[in-house]
Amino acid sequence: MTTTLQRPPATGRGPRRSGPGAVARFRWPAGYVVVIVLLFLLYQSILPTLVTPVANGIASWLPVATINECLMWAIMALGLNVVVGYAGLLDLGYVAFWALGGYTAGWLMAAPFNWTWNVHLATAVPGDYPGTHINFWFVIIIAGVLCAILGIIIGAPTLRLRGDYLALVTLGFGEVITQFFRNSNNIAGLNVAGGDGGISSIDGIGTGPFHVVDKSVPQALSIDSTSNTYKILVLGLLVGVCIFVSLRIREGRLGRAWLAIREDELAASMMGVPLVRAKLSAYAVGAFFGGIGGVANASGITGAVSPSGFDFGKSVLVLLMVVLGGMGNVWGVTIGAFLLAWLNGNGLKQIGVQLDSWFGWGAETWLPRYNFVILGLLLVLMMLFRREGLIPEKRTKALLRTPNRTEMESVGADITEAEAESEAAEANSGDDAAIASAARDVSPVLGQAPSARDDGADGPDGVVRADGAGTSDGTGADPAARRRDETGDVSR
Amino acid sequence: MRIRPITRVVAVGAAAALTLTGCASGNSGSGTSSSSSSSSSSSSAGGGATSGGGGGGGGAGKTVIISTDLPLQGSSASQSDSTNKLIQLYLEQVGNKAGNYSIQFKAYDDSTAAKGAWDDAACAKNATDHVANKDEVAVMGTFNSGCAKIEVPVLNRDTTGPMLMVSHANTNPGLTKTWDTGEPQKYYPTGKRNYARVVTTDDYQGNAAAAFAASDLKVKKCFVLNDNQTYGLGVAKSFADAAQKQGIQIAGQQSWDAKQPNYTALFQSIKATGADCVYLGGIYDNNGGQLIKDKVAVLGDNKTVKMLGPDGFTGYEDLLKLPQSEGLYLTFAGLTTEQLVKAGGVPAKLIDAYTKKYGQAPTGSYPLYGVAGVQVILAAIAKSDGTRKGVTDAVFSGEGIDIPQSESVTGKEIKIDPKSGDTTAKDVTVELVTGGKETFLKAQAVS
Repeated sequence: MTTTLQRPPATGRGPRRSGPGAVARFRWPAGYVVVIVLLFLLYQSILPTLVTPVANGIASWLPVATINECLMWAIMALGLNVVVGYAGLLDLGYVAFWALGGYTAGWLMAAPFNWTWNVHLATAVPGDYPGTHINFWFVIIIAGVLCAILGIIIGAPTLRLRGDYLALVTLGFGEVITQFFRNSNNIAGLNVAGGDGGISSIDGIGTGPFHVVDKSVPQALSIDSTSNTYKILVLGLLVGVCIFVSLRIREGRLGRAWLAIREDELAASMMGVPLVRAKLSAYAVGAFFGGIGGVANASGITGAVSPSGFDFGKSVLVLLMVVLGGMGNVWGVTIGAFLLAWLNGNGLKQIGVQLDSWFGWGAETWLPRYNFVILGLLLVLMMLFRREGLIPEKRTKALLRTPNRTEMESVGADITEAEAESEAAEANSGDDAAIASAARDVSPVLGQAPSARDDGADGPDGVVRADGAGTSDGTGADPAARRRDETGDVSR
Repeated sequence: MRIRPITRVVAVGAAAALTLTGCASGNSGSGTSSSSSSSSSSSSAGGGATSGGGGGGGGAGKTVIISTDLPLQGSSASQSDSTNKLIQLYLEQVGNKAGNYSIQFKAYDDSTAAKGAWDDAACAKNATDHVANKDEVAVMGTFNSGCAKIEVPVLNRDTTGPMLMVSHANTNPGLTKTWDTGEPQKYYPTGKRNYARVVTTDDYQGNAAAAFAASDLKVKKCFVLNDNQTYGLGVAKSFADAAQKQGIQIAGQQSWDAKQPNYTALFQSIKATGADCVYLGGIYDNNGGQLIKDKVAVLGDNKTVKMLGPDGFTGYEDLLKLPQSEGLYLTFAGLTTEQLVKAGGVPAKLIDAYTKKYGQAPTGSYPLYGVAGVQVILAAIAKSDGTRKGVTDAVFSGEGIDIPQSESVTGKEIKIDPKSGDTTAKDVTVELVTGGKETFLKAQAVS
């Protein structure tokens, strides 16, 4: 009994420590590293050796620059996923963090734009070059922290809001930040961020020791094709870190609190989830990722920041990545980011070129203009046929497929009848068991309730959870436990 | 197990947001353009071939590629499309040759659909591609100064170069001359110049407008407005500075907010200053129509209180349709297509050929300047050894590039200063809006 109660904080760790679990633990990092290294090798050594038509084909369909863009978008999407996917707080102004991150890079690693001075800190930029030049990795951390603070500032007034209202306020903040930077050439007489022209010539990513070891590695990864190939590794590492943090944080106390808030804020607060802290943490963590992405974008992708780069359209695109990919599912979101970033950056254009070469439509120029129609159509189709996203989170999937009790009530069935029906509907699907066990994972109190009433079943229940229910999908939970849980739910 | 319909809310929100941006991208496009100007109304996309070679000319010499780098989507699309077509037409006319080299043409797009305007990531990507494309020796572009500021350093760092870029539309002074802190040095990390342009910069336009206001309009007190964007701030600043030198009193300087529904209060405050002239430093896309309406409503017509604008207000049919725009003075850096055609010679022939082929004249005034940029590039290639470094050196060493008046598509001699890359031809045209048309008033000398 006591062990059962204490278990939740250790979710997923206990059983994985030894035996096959240890292998499973490294499965995704290993796979991910292989993918990134393969991508790197493809452009670094395989592509030059291929016959021209093949190499050109790859280079035009999937240029290195686009891969880097995709990776950068993936960081943003993973960040937004924490806010929207995990905590369920709809954020339409995510571009604000992106902008602040980018401008932090502009302030700390670029040529001067307001007055001239020299600050150099562990950077690849030659010593006599004017301006502030601080190492990329320091800037990333500074930008992350700044953005996290901004996230909390933005988050604080929105704590009482939900749904549409929350979306409106965040949308407002997104616009405010862009306007701030647009007018930043004269804030109390001070040129804070270069105004409409922004800050240009931001340093590349210094390679430091790698350049010393291997001279073929550029000293700084600026914007050129050699550097772009190496950037796959750097951005890949950043995305990897974001994925890792996303996955781990989800399993922890905080992550489970977010999921609880997402599914039912009122219930979560009743169960003792500290709403204010959990929501602000979601904003802070999401914003931290946004800051990282902003620096990666400014330093690695564009080499400049200006307010026009942070328009509302980008917030929407990131949100689409999260929704299309599968809200809450890290892999889905990453895939969504790759897909949409590719379509927006290079894909549609290239499809146009291909269509032209087949039919001579001149589609290269007009097809990308229908970007929004195509994306909109994609979204509508998605919502019709696969609401939960490309790679859905198991939890969301289960929830979406469960008949909604309130709907049943609204068509006239009384509560017990509705329940009997839903139970019958759920009996042979494994998904509902997942919900039940996941719900127990989220709030230990919920898990405790039925077992306290029903002493006899406590033993097997505990065993089941220790074995299989560690992760939220918990396919092993038995229907009996689930039913008990449902009763507990109703009596509440 | 009650489900909060978060998925539904998010999806609906996303869809709504999508619709919003979809609508917005149409008219917000060139709001960020710092070179602005004349994308006249909505002409159709035109499915013309914008890429691909113009076919190999003669067999002699090796083949080099020149490219354009323009926003092919969004509000500048039709103008960019015309520019590409006109350049291809011109290349055909000269037999796709420059000196001993065969020329191929390639078009790059520096805009994204999501934005409907130039995009910094697209610019950076294009810059990488220019450098990576081994046969490419020079770039004609970009349309927007902001985009050039991203691309020029990248082309400058090219180890086989630096690679030449010649712009037909970047009017921001900072790219070539001392302007803001660190400019222009920060765009040339190797210390060598590789960027030239065939248009006059914003500061000359402001100067010309001030000279015109002082000598021709004889105004005493001007109120200077700007749209708070790079381009608008630049022309407004140069107008204010030059006007003061000309003895015009500056009654005040203020930004107008493009998102404001009306400007009555703004013009009331201007009225209180007793200004007899208003300068609109900015582009028409930033709610210029409302601005002009309110100016006339509060300060009276443009005969009593004069109104002047830069080329950011030229080439808009919507503006010309406004009865309040009657009597508005506009300046344009360079000469308008109409003037050039009227003057006859090379430009007239090219425009005629274009009209014959596509059934309409090219959109806006920049396509001809695009060809002028190509002329500079071709002259540089002819003088060079066919390498990137050679082409850049041809422009930035010795006498530089000089295209005589008899050959130039701008009807004037094009001479590129080998030190700065700026053109020595500083034409500024003053136009008067009257009877719903931009009419040529005078060619203003620029000091």
